[in-house]
Amino acid sequence: MKNPFVMECGNYKTSYSKDMELFRVRRVKIRMLIIVILLFLFPLFASNYVIGLATLCAIAVIGAIGLNILTGFTGQISVGVGAFLAVGGYTSAIFTTTYGLSFWISLPLAGLITAIIGGMFGIPSLRLKGLYLAIATLAAQVIILWIISSWSVTGGGAGMVLERPAIGGFSFYDQNSYYYLCLIVAVFTTIYALNLFRTRTGRAFLAVRDRDVAAQIMGINLFSYKVMSFAISSFIVGIAGALLAHYTMIVTVELYSIQVSIQYLAMILIGGLGSVFGAILGAVFITLLPVGLGYMVEYLTIFIPDAHSLLSSFREVVFGLVIILFLIFEPGGLVHIWNNIKNYFRLWPFSTKE
Amino acid sequence: MSIFYSWKKLSLTFVSLILLMGVLAACGDGDSETGGESSGDKVIKLGGLFDESGATGDVGAPYAEGERAFFENLNSKGGIDGYKVDFIGEDYAYDTSRAQQVYQGLRDRHEVVAVLGWGTADTEALRKQIINDKIPFFSASYSENLKDTGNESGYNYLTAASYSDQGRAILDWIEENHKGESPARVALVYHKGHPFSESPIQDIKDYAKENLDGVVEITPDVLIELGDTDPLTTLQSWSRSNEEPDYTIINYTWGQTRNVVRDAKSLGWKTQFMGLNWTAGEGLIPAGADNQQWVDVLDGFIGVVTHAFPTEDLPGMEPIVEYLDSKGKTVEDINQKFVQGWATASIMAEAMKIAIAETDGDVTGTDMKAAIESIQDFELHGLGADVSFSPDNQAGTDKIRLGQLKDGEWEIITEYFGISDK
Repeated sequence: MKNPFVMECGNYKTSYSKDMELFRVRRVKIRMLIIVILLFLFPLFASNYVIGLATLCAIAVIGAIGLNILTGFTGQISVGVGAFLAVGGYTSAIFTTTYGLSFWISLPLAGLITAIIGGMFGIPSLRLKGLYLAIATLAAQVIILWIISSWSVTGGGAGMVLERPAIGGFSFYDQNSYYYLCLIVAVFTTIYALNLFRTRTGRAFLAVRDRDVAAQIMGINLFSYKVMSFAISSFIVGIAGALLAHYTMIVTVELYSIQVSIQYLAMILIGGLGSVFGAILGAVFITLLPVGLGYMVEYLTIFIPDAHSLLSSFREVVFGLVIILFLIFEPGGLVHIWNNIKNYFRLWPFSTKE
Repeated sequence: MSIFYSWKKLSLTFVSLILLMGVLAACGDGDSETGGESSGDKVIKLGGLFDESGATGDVGAPYAEGERAFFENLNSKGGIDGYKVDFIGEDYAYDTSRAQQVYQGLRDRHEVVAVLGWGTADTEALRKQIINDKIPFFSASYSENLKDTGNESGYNYLTAASYSDQGRAILDWIEENHKGESPARVALVYHKGHPFSESPIQDIKDYAKENLDGVVEITPDVLIELGDTDPLTTLQSWSRSNEEPDYTIINYTWGQTRNVVRDAKSLGWKTQFMGLNWTAGEGLIPAGADNQQWVDVLDGFIGVVTHAFPTEDLPGMEPIVEYLDSKGKTVEDINQKFVQGWATASIMAEAMKIAIAETDGDVTGTDMKAAIESIQDFELHGLGADVSFSPDNQAGTDKIRLGQLKDGEWEIITEYFGISDK
């Protein structure tokens, strides 16, 4: 019998365009389609709570893909994601609440304005690299949050209250409908990101990441591509921010602290830098990890009823431990684990050892 | 190499297990949670959001412990008319997005009828959702924003005087007790842009302007960030362009209040330092052998005391003492924030009692709202000011007491009073 895992045998490419296809094997295309259909059918058999978590995962996926374009693909470290999420959230809040604009117009506007601001903070990236750039983006985090908290338009410390979007008389208040909205945006973001790296721009990003001097010698304009990467990444993060704001129906400065930025960095590190699939895995993992650990603590309190505070710190410890273990033992991230598993089956039974 | 390989395998297994657990947990059905109860028990479910390990964990942990202790004590005495209260809570570590997840779990997985919450940012972040979900919410944040009875925060209730009412009451006290030149100069110290710290500032200013013109004068603000551990520079530059105030009202938690008072005194300020309720309490003076410096620095500090100290001899303390006895503890083992948690939980229990009587046990969030709004002059027997709610009043009280630090001990210096007494 033919090994069901062997699918790339005899898959010869005869042209450059074939080599660059998004799905090089038909079976992969069908599998992706099935996964997307399953994601759309998901609310039919899941409880409201699970759908709520899935919505948060979808929003995190969008943000993580956005950050991965900048950090994973272009090699520009950013710890200002939290602030860019805030820009997206507040822009949508101001347009919908203060100016009464429709959500469907304010969503792309939120992306655009975040892209402009992100691009501005990307300007120093020509001169700054690595840690220096990280600190410059940290400045973005501080400056943007300071402006938001001191500006009267944004409601200062009290924040702003938002409504869920609506089409005609239909409101997206229901968990299912908002999940679908976020899922559709997440799917489009994924397709966009996958395609981006098949284009001239995307490949320039990779060149900038791998060896910027060589890229410049080849004729790639470092400055414009770095700023463009900041802008594209911020656009997507801004969209995620707007979706999150309308999901929680409020924006306050505390929602976008430095902790959020670090969480997003953890997502792409754990998922796998420079991989769209990795960003998805990482976003889901980091979003669900505290939930899973919460269950664990809940289970343990059956045996140790009085140890609430001890166990809650224990949860933080496990969270930190998982991140450290990942960085030490699997710097390639979840996507690397996934590829190892795939390779194992692909090579089986001829080679089961490294 | 082989050791590394097995380590790698081990860690991979560990990580995969955690991942699997997360996925399984998310897909798991919530019903198993109630499996612990015997089938004959009648149960009513209540949610809790705690900060035990986050930024405000110093006051959050004893508060949560007080709430848990109240329901444990209640259940051990047969519950409410035969109904046991299943109090399901989780530590969200003062992380607003985590609060969102925990709240969703309480709503969808546990289907709670009401929630006992914690911080300003997360309570405000949830206020719109709880209206749509019809789940009443008692927060430990007394932000004036939560008093709105309309479509902004229609399901939030304040179980103690709002931060703004606390500030107004302090101004009234200053009006009565100020000696010396008039008007009394009052400086407000807070973190601009921080939802909790900035919450009462505008209301305090408005009150001084409208009601105490010529009696109290608010000086320019002293803006110090909560994370700024060395406020000396800010205080120094402030006093360069301003005259030293007669009174200083601080709105932080314990740690930052200490820093501000220390640095202001080191600059020679002779002002009367005062603070809202999260500045007051045992933890303002850290325990330890070298705490004498803090006892000296903070001597004379006046704080808003919304709830009783455990060492006070009050009728409301009896059940607490009884509970502590059963655990082999004394009042020395708890603090004022424990009492605050206990008192808040007891108001919720009263609402549950009314709702159960009205509905024969089939309680929903709407029933709880109606029950809370029917509470009139509920006595806390000295643990806090009595509370009353109604459909057009979601603030239970505006009354506070003031306490003063003398030789490191808190001494209550006023009876309960508030702006409605005027």
